[in-house]
Amino acid sequence: MPKIDIQNLGVTYEERGELFTALQGVTFSVDEGEFVSVIGSSGCGKSTLLSVLEGLRAPTSGAVLIDGKPLTGTGLDRGVVFQQYSLFPWMTARGNVAFGIKQARKDLTRKRILEIADEYLEKVGLADASSRYPSRLSGGMQQRVAIARALAMDTDILLMDEPFGAVDAKNRVILQELLLRLWQNEQKHKTVVFITHDIDEAIFLSDRVIMLTESPGTVAKDISVPFPRPRERSALLHSPDYADFRGNLTTLFFDSESKIGETEDDWVVI
Amino acid sequence: MTFKKRFFKISRLLFALLCLTQLIPNKIDKPDEFLYTLGFAAIIEIALIAADAFSRKPETLNLPHDIAAFLYALLIVWILATAKLSLLKEMLFPPPGVVFKQLITDIPQLLPHIGSSLALVGKGYALALAIAVPLGLILGTAVRAGNAATYISKFIGSIPPVVYIPYGIALLPSFRAVSVMVIFLASFWPILAATMSGVLYIDKRITDSAQVLNVGKTETLCKIILPASLPQIFTGMGQGLTVSFILLTSAEMIGARNGMGYYVKNYSDLGNYTRTIVGVLIIGIVISVVFFVFNKLQKFALRWR
Repeated sequence: MPKIDIQNLGVTYEERGELFTALQGVTFSVDEGEFVSVIGSSGCGKSTLLSVLEGLRAPTSGAVLIDGKPLTGTGLDRGVVFQQYSLFPWMTARGNVAFGIKQARKDLTRKRILEIADEYLEKVGLADASSRYPSRLSGGMQQRVAIARALAMDTDILLMDEPFGAVDAKNRVILQELLLRLWQNEQKHKTVVFITHDIDEAIFLSDRVIMLTESPGTVAKDISVPFPRPRERSALLHSPDYADFRGNLTTLFFDSESKIGETEDDWVVI
Repeated sequence: MTFKKRFFKISRLLFALLCLTQLIPNKIDKPDEFLYTLGFAAIIEIALIAADAFSRKPETLNLPHDIAAFLYALLIVWILATAKLSLLKEMLFPPPGVVFKQLITDIPQLLPHIGSSLALVGKGYALALAIAVPLGLILGTAVRAGNAATYISKFIGSIPPVVYIPYGIALLPSFRAVSVMVIFLASFWPILAATMSGVLYIDKRITDSAQVLNVGKTETLCKIILPASLPQIFTGMGQGLTVSFILLTSAEMIGARNGMGYYVKNYSDLGNYTRTIVGVLIIGIVISVVFFVFNKLQKFALRWR
């Protein structure tokens, strides 16, 4: 049984009085412990897809099953990292992580919660910044705290909505490697759904890449990433296989985009 | 920084000028009590000289020096216009020394008035805070009720609360109760309106975060919505505090038997304008101290910004 099973999912919502179909007939599944990236250009509905998985938005049609059971709303079986503002600005880094742990695991004592919080802050390299407020942390550091919180909550599933999209290029690479290392080092791998518009990021991190086309968003391609783990960035980037794979993926990406363009003649693909 | 740069200041020059005014003979018959003025100015000047001598960052002292300069200039003009040149009516405008002397002698008499005033503001304001903040949080989250409440609070909030005083006198048993009521009404609406707008403008990403963490309803209100709207609530609290003091002094002038407003009103009725000025000064000092504490509190509560 897949961990996450998305069946014929459709989402339609009203925006300024007009009905807008964000997703239509989206079907794919994610196995337990699998790292899946969803890529697509902005506006293709990938964030809508994630907000359905988060439980913040109800599907208009179709269904999402988690462990075989239909999704009913938000839940503590899923940890979430948004692109920005996942953290509460009035709580310190440590307070934010501790708050997440307290929500997910009500049986723990305050002391134990803080121990776990410190442990995860150390894992993301922020042991020294634990008493700082988010406004005193850089964007990259804030995302580290958000990741620490999501991991410390010890959920089976991790949902990440372009978590490194607002971070500068250098820090993005550092954060990708950190995330991969943390994910790999967990005894039981978490099931991850990772939204991005960065093809390299998707290949480097995931077992599978799902490509969405826009208006309405639907699955265009579902491709397994053939590179073995553990992955090492520079070796991977310089291998000829990588260049081929990336090239094919990019071609597929633009092909699937232009197909939509052919069906709707006023649609321009740049 | 050179010695000259460190110690030569315009405020120092003005302090010297203030002392030099004593070379001019008095034109009034009563003593001008210059020693009190000198004592007051000397305390400030000694503090500034000490600060100049020991400060590691002398530039940060510009502001206190500039404030002192204004103060000395004001005292010079005041002394010249009263004791020295007698440009103003002596009865209405006592020289500064006379006012300072009266202030010091009246302190034991003034303390109960200050205490009475602060108790009134404290009661009315605390009551408004205790009701307006929770109500604002709830109305802010209930969209339809909140929208309607916004219009209603705009309407009622636009009425100057002074007009409730006569009705309050008919309605309530004591004048103190009337004062508490008008202070309550005056501070209630700005705090309510600010709390509601604070809730309304919370970033959706914050509430989304709380939702995916499955934070319960009551907990969301206390631990997410309240702190998230706290910056706006503090703005409303500041406005509420300002109008509270306006209402307090107005009410005390209308019908009280004690309080700072009563002190001013009573002595101006009796024609004792020295004490009237003392009362006005005291009101200014008390309100400044209250706002100083309020601002410190705000800074602490919003230290995460």
